[in-house]
Parts: sequence; structure tokens; C-alpha cells
Amino acid sequence: MDLNFSVLLRFQDALLLGLWMTIKLTLICMVLGCTLGFLVGLARTSRNVFVRGLSSVYVEFFRGTPVLIQLFWIFFCLPLLLGVELSNLTSGVIALTLYMGAITSETFRASLKSVGPEQLDACVALGLPKRVQVTSVVLPQAVLRAIPTLLSNCVSLFKESALVSAVGMADLMFVGQNISNNTARPVEALTIVALIYFAIAFPLTRAVSIIEARILKKLAI
Amino acid sequence: MNYSFDFQSIAYAPLMKGLLVTLELTIAANAIGLTFGFLLALLIMSRIAIIRLPAMLFVEFFRCTPAIVQIVWFFYCVPMLFNVFLGSLTMGILALGLNLMAFNAEAYRASIQAVPREQIDAGIALGLNPFQRVLYIVLPSAFRASIPVLLTNGIVIFQQSALVAIVAVQDLMYQGKTLATETYRPIETFTIVALIYFAVSFPVTQIVGYLERRRQLLVS
Repeated sequence: MDLNFSVLLRFQDALLLGLWMTIKLTLICMVLGCTLGFLVGLARTSRNVFVRGLSSVYVEFFRGTPVLIQLFWIFFCLPLLLGVELSNLTSGVIALTLYMGAITSETFRASLKSVGPEQLDACVALGLPKRVQVTSVVLPQAVLRAIPTLLSNCVSLFKESALVSAVGMADLMFVGQNISNNTARPVEALTIVALIYFAIAFPLTRAVSIIEARILKKLAI
Repeated sequence: MNYSFDFQSIAYAPLMKGLLVTLELTIAANAIGLTFGFLLALLIMSRIAIIRLPAMLFVEFFRCTPAIVQIVWFFYCVPMLFNVFLGSLTMGILALGLNLMAFNAEAYRASIQAVPREQIDAGIALGLNPFQRVLYIVLPSAFRASIPVLLTNGIVIFQQSALVAIVAVQDLMYQGKTLATETYRPIETFTIVALIYFAVSFPVTQIVGYLERRRQLLVS
């Protein structure tokens, strides 16, 4: 079979638009998801049984089901249940934010836990009030330790965002599939799409490991 | 909200049939991923660049592209490029298996590198040859250390297997989608499908958590 990648030059703009949609979706859900994840991570350490139970059910449920079914559920069922029309972008943002929130909450929880009990003992010995203990001792260390995992969560989010193509959102994957259907050249179109994803995700994962090494050095662990 | 739920109208038989296909995909992909993943890990750690670089490229490619792109690519392009025409289930198993191989190779590599240097030195002191050192010292402890990650990867593949519904493999997700459009009951159908996925993966994640806690106790 003959491969002809120049066919795709005509679709440059479409691919760029798709890529922009993917990036926009990733950035919005990254910010919202990390915020949600931080709050949920705190809620899971709460003393209130109700708060703790509810946040645990949320996290376990979103981690225990495929992202595809979460997307379908939010696209098809949430509008029915709420009785309001949701735009494609809104549904996509809701679904991916909930997914991101669930995985980042685990990251924050693990990093909060990693601050050793001897540090808290030291705070008590120094007579620091509870507020100072949280803002100047626990949080800075916890957030610093969470950064590498958070970044790799963001890369996962970027990859998972390709799923929105299955519910008809015009992201990079959707555009790629459309081009492949219209030109009957799936090999070229899909390979280019895969390469674009790779070209973005690969440098990011490299950056994550460099940052991780730096932070580990800084913490001397 | 004035939606009346009707869980009675959902046909469970096709869902169960779909679950079987999903489990079949998961188990076969795990069989590929666990065995070939280890071989791939050995290739990544090879000292010879010609062996190492292609293996690393393979792993990075699967880790840095969306699974849905991989699966759609595999289903459309492999028959065209290589002129092989396999059943859709076999294609699904291969696509998921290759993906899992890449992730498991990383897990194996991390735990092989985590085997303390002293243990290998002790092996040398005891007069074991390099092959025996790998077989009796590195492999057992590396494999045990990687079990939690391997299980997690296995369950991730169980969840990712839902993606084959997009290329019309009749798994649980596909049956759910069909049922939702046939019965006009998307809420009930998708909720039940989600619960079935959850019911399988939740116990496994609990086991992983238990194993990790036990391991931390052992290490400390």
C-alpha cells in the first residue's frame, strides 16, 4: 500500500482546531480538577463520618469505573436527571473534572500522609498553634511532594481527554477520525494524530521525571 | 426532577454476555502483559543501545498516546499495513495486551532496579553466576515488589477495555450502549453498567491497598 502524508496538509487547520480543543479542555479540567482534588483530599481526612464517607464513595467510584462510562453517563443521563440542556463543552468539562478530581485527591491524600508524625511532634514541642502547623509545616511539604504526581496526573488527563471524541466533541481525535473517514486514508490520519499526542505528552513526562529528581534531591529523601 | 426509574426493563442477559467478553479481553491482555512485559523490561535495561532504544521507544509510545488512539489505530491500520485480518476479539486482545506490556515493563524495571545492591554483592560472595543471581535473587524479590503495580495495571486494562466498544467489539460497554438506545433508558442502563465495572474493580483495588500496606510494614 502507498502512504501519502501530504494529503493531510489540506486538513492542517482542522487538526490545529482539534488540538486547541484538546488543550483547552485539558487546561480547564486541570485547574478545576486539582482544586476539587485538593478539597476532596482534605475531606477524606475529615473527622466527620458523613463528609469522609461521601468523599470516599466519590473517589472510589470514579477510580473504579471506566472513564468512557463516566462520560456517557454525564452526556446522556445528567441532562435528563437535571432537566436542563448541557452544552457539549460543559458536559465534557464536568466529566473530566470529576475524573481529575478523583485521581488528584488520592495524590494529595498520599502526600499529606507522607509528612511524618515527628514533624507534628516538633510543632507541639515548639508550641506552634494548629493554624501555623498546617500552613507552614504540613502544607508546603505536602504540596511539594505532590507536584510530580500531579503533573503526571495532568498528562493522564491530556490522554484521557481523547475519549470525548466518542461522544462527538470536536477534539484532536475526533478531527483525526473524521479526516480518516472522509479521505479513506486512516493510516496517515490516525498516525499523525497519534504523533501529535506523543509530541506533547512525551516531553511532559520527561519534564515530570526531571522535576521529580530535583524535588527528591531538595527533600533529601 | 420527575423522572420515573424503571430498572425492570433492562435485559440483564446481554449485559452478562458483554461482561464475559470484557473479562476475556482483560484476562488475555494480562497474560500477554505479564509475560512479555517482563521480557520487554529486560530489553529496556539492556546495555546494548540497538536493543534498548527500540524497546524504550515502544514503551514511551504506548505510555504517551491515548489508549483510544492506539485502539482505533490498531483496528484501522494494522489490517491495511500488514494485510492481516484477525477477528475483532483477537484484535482487541492484541491492542490491549501491547498497551499493558508497555506499562508492566516500566513496573518490572522499577522494581528490578530497586533490588538493593548488597543482595547482588552477597550473591557474588556466595559464588553464584550472573544467571543464578538473576534467577534466585533479583527475580523473586523484584516480582514480589511489583505485584501491587501489576495488579493496578491489570485493573486499569479492565477499565480501558471499555474502549473496544468504540470499534464494535461486543463487550459490556457495547452491550450497554446498544441496550440504552433500544430501551430508551440510558440512565438505568449506564448506571448498571457502571456498577458492574465498579463491582469487579473495587475488590481488586482493595486487595492492592492491603498488599501495599502489608509490604510497607514488612519494609519498615
